[in-house]
Amino acid sequence: MTDETPAHKNPVVVAFATTMLAAMRDESRSLQFAVLLTDDGFEVAHHSATLDATATADGKLASMSSSIQALSEAVTRELKISAPNEYIVLATDKGQVIQQRIPGHTLVLAALFSNDENLGLALSVLRRHADQAANFLTAQGVK
Amino acid sequence: MAEHVILFTGPMGAGKTTAIQSLSEIDVVLTEGVNTDRETADKATTTVALDYGEIDLGDTDKVRLYGIPGQRRFEFMWRILKQRAKGMVLLVNNDAHDPISAMLEYLDEFAELYEKGGVIIGISRSDVSGTPTLDQYAAALDAARPGMLAPVMTVDPRDGAHMRMALMTLIANIEMRAMFGSMQHAQEPA
Repeated sequence: MTDETPAHKNPVVVAFATTMLAAMRDESRSLQFAVLLTDDGFEVAHHSATLDATATADGKLASMSSSIQALSEAVTRELKISAPNEYIVLATDKGQVIQQRIPGHTLVLAALFSNDENLGLALSVLRRHADQAANFLTAQGVK
Repeated sequence: MAEHVILFTGPMGAGKTTAIQSLSEIDVVLTEGVNTDRETADKATTTVALDYGEIDLGDTDKVRLYGIPGQRRFEFMWRILKQRAKGMVLLVNNDAHDPISAMLEYLDEFAELYEKGGVIIGISRSDVSGTPTLDQYAAALDAARPGMLAPVMTVDPRDGAHMRMALMTLIANIEMRAMFGSMQHAQEPA
């Protein structure tokens, strides 16, 4: 049975996401911020290890991640290189934002890692948790 | 070739993406997300970054058409997109809750586009809701922004010819205001 409640209004999903994001931080101490968001930019939950409240206020980073996801997918569509497991990396000298869709669902997982983390390891943390979220959401009947 | 960058603004569900799709001569670049806010607008998807289309007007003018996401949580995209724009098609759906306030809110938010070029206000879905009337929109506009030269008309975003007429009205409005502006400038004492 499918649960039609949007993920950001579904207390079961919000509780799961909150726990999952904290677990990501436990796994990777270089994780500074992580957010699970809906396709249309609503924050389901976030975990902030180092970012101050202003940076994360009003779910702004969720909205921005939603726009980046859609714009990046528009580019890969245009270039005819889109694939199911694509991910996005924004890298600077001070850190790296990585995000990807939750496979099979209309949610996105985005995370900011410091440069103490190697990109490959950061990506594997993100992917593992995205897969874990996919399994949970499927079991719950959430899109 | 003259180039115009026109921004399509207005609340979620006003028909911005549809209008750009009706007008564009290229495949429209869409950035749609699954819409989880069905109470605000009962549609399957919503723009989350921008829409982009292009149209040539005659042999001399190219118009670049950008659409914004209508929801305020994407305000950072509004700030980015309004930087290059020289004119605005403000679409307001007549069946929205308090569409006149929505019109005034978007006019305030994008006021610089009126200063930079021009604005046209298109009232969509007037077939679904007959009120407010165009006179009521015009009166509210006159009261809130006296002297503002912004045509108000009903539009059907699905109708390419209809939207083209609205766009041409905007371009004519922008060019006329630019011409009067430069004439005024020339008459000012040195």
